[in-house]
Amino acid sequence: MNSPTPVIQIDNLAYAYGRAEAVHDLSLKVQPGRCYGLFGRNGAGKTTTMKCLLNLLTPQRGQVRVFGLDPAKVEVAVKRRLAYVPEQVVFYPWMSVRETLDYLASFRDRWNRKTEQELFERFRLDPAQRTDALSKGQRTHVALIAAICPEPDLLVLDEPTSGLDPIVRREFIETVIGAYQEGNPGNRTIFVSTHLIAEFEGLIDEFTIVDRGRSVLTLDADQARERFQKIRARFAQSPPELDLTAALRVRRNGRELELIVNGAGPELVERLRQHNPEALSTEALTLEEIFVAALKS
Amino acid sequence: MLLQISFKSGTPIYLQIVDQIKDAAASGALQPGEALPSIRPLAEELRVNRNTIAKAYSELESLGVIETLPGRGCFLKANHSALRKEVRRKLLIEEIDRAVVQAHHLQVPRDEFLELVHERIDVLDDKRRANENQKEA
Repeated sequence: MNSPTPVIQIDNLAYAYGRAEAVHDLSLKVQPGRCYGLFGRNGAGKTTTMKCLLNLLTPQRGQVRVFGLDPAKVEVAVKRRLAYVPEQVVFYPWMSVRETLDYLASFRDRWNRKTEQELFERFRLDPAQRTDALSKGQRTHVALIAAICPEPDLLVLDEPTSGLDPIVRREFIETVIGAYQEGNPGNRTIFVSTHLIAEFEGLIDEFTIVDRGRSVLTLDADQARERFQKIRARFAQSPPELDLTAALRVRRNGRELELIVNGAGPELVERLRQHNPEALSTEALTLEEIFVAALKS
Repeated sequence: MLLQISFKSGTPIYLQIVDQIKDAAASGALQPGEALPSIRPLAEELRVNRNTIAKAYSELESLGVIETLPGRGCFLKANHSALRKEVRRKLLIEEIDRAVVQAHHLQVPRDEFLELVHERIDVLDDKRRANENQKEA
């Protein structure tokens, strides 16, 4: 098989700050054109992982490859093909928005002026404004323009929407979907770390949940929603005694039963049905609910 | 047409879009030759990955429901099933079997089930007629 080189490949990555281990034996692979989510609580090791991709930290064990290259050896070759939006965006305070973008564009091979203009209008930014007078939302807007105009093959987003108001968060995601993915969707890859999972739900193709530096679950998003289900049943009398060990979580309340399952849904539904429930329904868990279920079990 | 998606249905997002457009085509809510929303604004509006919409549209195209005119967008085709008769029957039989099994579990007898099928076809026909009349008006 002649499969394409993964845009990101992380094998058995480990990194510790002194004795505090931030990432432990993490492996994952991101294929071109995919939107990959790295989900975890605060302090789970997401930012450390991203910093290893960007050569801001050097892996202590394992290896990372970006476009098949080692970012520690060929940092420039890797970085000219990606853009990074960190949680805290910092610019030179004395520059205007226009000067900041011109400065950042000077490091790039390409800069799409049409996209820049379109995003200026969408975000209603004033090019003459000094960056130290921008609000947090406006700084994110400028960082997003700087990330998208070079049309990179990879967009690395580290907690990009935390601390922003709901309107800015919406605009952020719409811009990533619209302006970033538009050009060459097959090759526009996104790697996003977040604990605000619900707002990225529709964008995510595949994800890894990390907890205390370890990978807990890696799945395709559609498959995840098919496997993780909530089953609700109500019986005329108290619920029958059933073997429910296959369920991740069981809630009982009088005549009602609620199960969270991972993959065992169809068999359990069939078993419940045999006891003639008054009502029986299933629904998929959202990625955020899957995140909570995976960390609790 | 206004599409709705739900992350709680357990059906992959692209299939929800495929199903809704097929429903709209069957009921006449979407007429042959009518344009489908273009990919980028639809992806932004539903806040889903652009590739998800592209996948739904290419699935609809391979089923012969829509056609893509280069530079102009996607349109509902007039006479759409591109599939051979046996394949069409086989696809339908799978769906019917599911409904038959469900009817058994819900203790709906044969006659009542068949009556319901007639009734549902009538409902769809009524919808089509209503959409036709609206178009003429």
